[in-house]
Amino acid sequence: MYKAVIIGGSAGSFQVITRILSSMPPNFPLPVLLCLHRLKHVRSGFVEALSIKSTLPVIEPMDKEQIKPGRAYLAPANYHMYVELGNKIALSTEEVVNHSRPSIDLSFITAAQIYREKLIGIILSGANRDGAYGLKKVKDHGGIAIVQNPAECQVKTMTETSLKMTPVDHIFNTNDIIKYLQKVK
Amino acid sequence: MQITDLDLQYFISSIKSVSKYDLSNYSDKSLKRRLQKVLEDNSINLMTLINRMMGDRAVVEKTIRDITVNTTELFRDPTVWHLLRSRILPRFKNNKTINIWHAGCSTGQEVYSMMILLNEMDMLERAKIFASDINTDVLETAKHGVYKYRFNLNYLDNFDKVIKQNPLNFEEYNDVPYEKYFDIDKQRDTLSMKQFMVDKPIFRKHDLVTEGNIFYSKFDIILCRNVIIYFNYALQNKVFELFHSNLYPKGGLVLGMHESILGPWANKFERLGHAYVKK
Ligand SMILES: C[S@@+](CC[C@H](N)C(=O)[O-])C[C@H]1O[C@@H](n2cnc3c(N)ncnc32)[C@H](O)[C@@H]1O
Repeated sequence: MYKAVIIGGSAGSFQVITRILSSMPPNFPLPVLLCLHRLKHVRSGFVEALSIKSTLPVIEPMDKEQIKPGRAYLAPANYHMYVELGNKIALSTEEVVNHSRPSIDLSFITAAQIYREKLIGIILSGANRDGAYGLKKVKDHGGIAIVQNPAECQVKTMTETSLKMTPVDHIFNTNDIIKYLQKVK
Repeated sequence: MQITDLDLQYFISSIKSVSKYDLSNYSDKSLKRRLQKVLEDNSINLMTLINRMMGDRAVVEKTIRDITVNTTELFRDPTVWHLLRSRILPRFKNNKTINIWHAGCSTGQEVYSMMILLNEMDMLERAKIFASDINTDVLETAKHGVYKYRFNLNYLDNFDKVIKQNPLNFEEYNDVPYEKYFDIDKQRDTLSMKQFMVDKPIFRKHDLVTEGNIFYSKFDIILCRNVIIYFNYALQNKVFELFHSNLYPKGGLVLGMHESILGPWANKFERLGHAYVKK
């Protein structure tokens, strides 16, 4: 019924995303797009760190790579990650957006344009505003908007800004995000 | 303001009708973003831009320059340079000449990185360095080889990783001074390549979409990094054909860290790390 899940996170989201990835059903029927900010100098090792506990393969995709279900695609360091027609990844090194590359907004906006009402967008803990506008676009196109409960977030800025910008479908603690994804089709 | 597919088509066909530029096979998501940025930076709408382009060839040229993404670094992605150092360049160690083409060289950092590495491997004298880009502004910067210093401290980190350290042997440390290749002026905030560096490469304007090989020579190595991410799949394949036919047998093709040959040209190359060698 849905076509993709997209997750954005920044400061304080690493633990959360690790927990989510470790509890995904192994035959998860959708692709998971991950747009996570990382420390400036941590360019490598991130995908390995996420892979350790993940039930899905975590990939830093190549440009124009075909998006397949049951895999997690992590936006590579220093590239923006877009979704293009034909269900392909497209990368870009254009200037930082919201001080970030990858920018969560850009990934969410392009995914929303392609998957429209068949997209589930999730914003996790983070220290800047990146992602809030993107989540609004997911909602505008009829998709599902989920925000991690700010009370549970290590850093609330990203989730609170998202909540101000758009009415969301769910405000979930990590456990509920996990439960929700178990049932997704 | 959101650019629609129709807007984009209109923009592309307008440029096509007044110039030889053809953006129709650019990756549409990033082209849309770039067009939006051009409109916002100039506070104009699409109609105004198109009208101006129709009336003035210089506006087309400027728009093309503004549309391109020119981000680059000295020794960007050190692992690529490790691969060049340990596995690609040694294949040409005994050549009398080594022809290298940097396609989409932007402001030239990649070209100078290559020259530094070649010099450290005693291969620079025998190398011929060709470099091209569609954007004439970045080529001007490339020819001068003068960059901002403070903003680019990672250039020095990268230099250390590639030139001073040996990834295969952590005990080895070559204390190559930066001044061998470039001067740093903290007052002026500049990092400038030495004269012998800027004198060597041949920089030319070249459009990968509409032109063939303009250098009257084939190549031992072609680097085209972070350029084809702005092209769609069909255009990427066209560019691979151009590269394949202009490489010598066993010539090396180096794409960006997250670029690869996914289509029919893949079996005309062998993988070497994440680079390619023409079969
Ligand atoms: C992101 S830069 C890459 C610079 C360098 N190769 C690197 O990886 O650091 C991409 C360059 O491709 C150039 N470019 C875009 N379209 C082109 C075309 N059709 N022909 C030649 N160059 C093009 C742009 O002007 C830009 O300078």
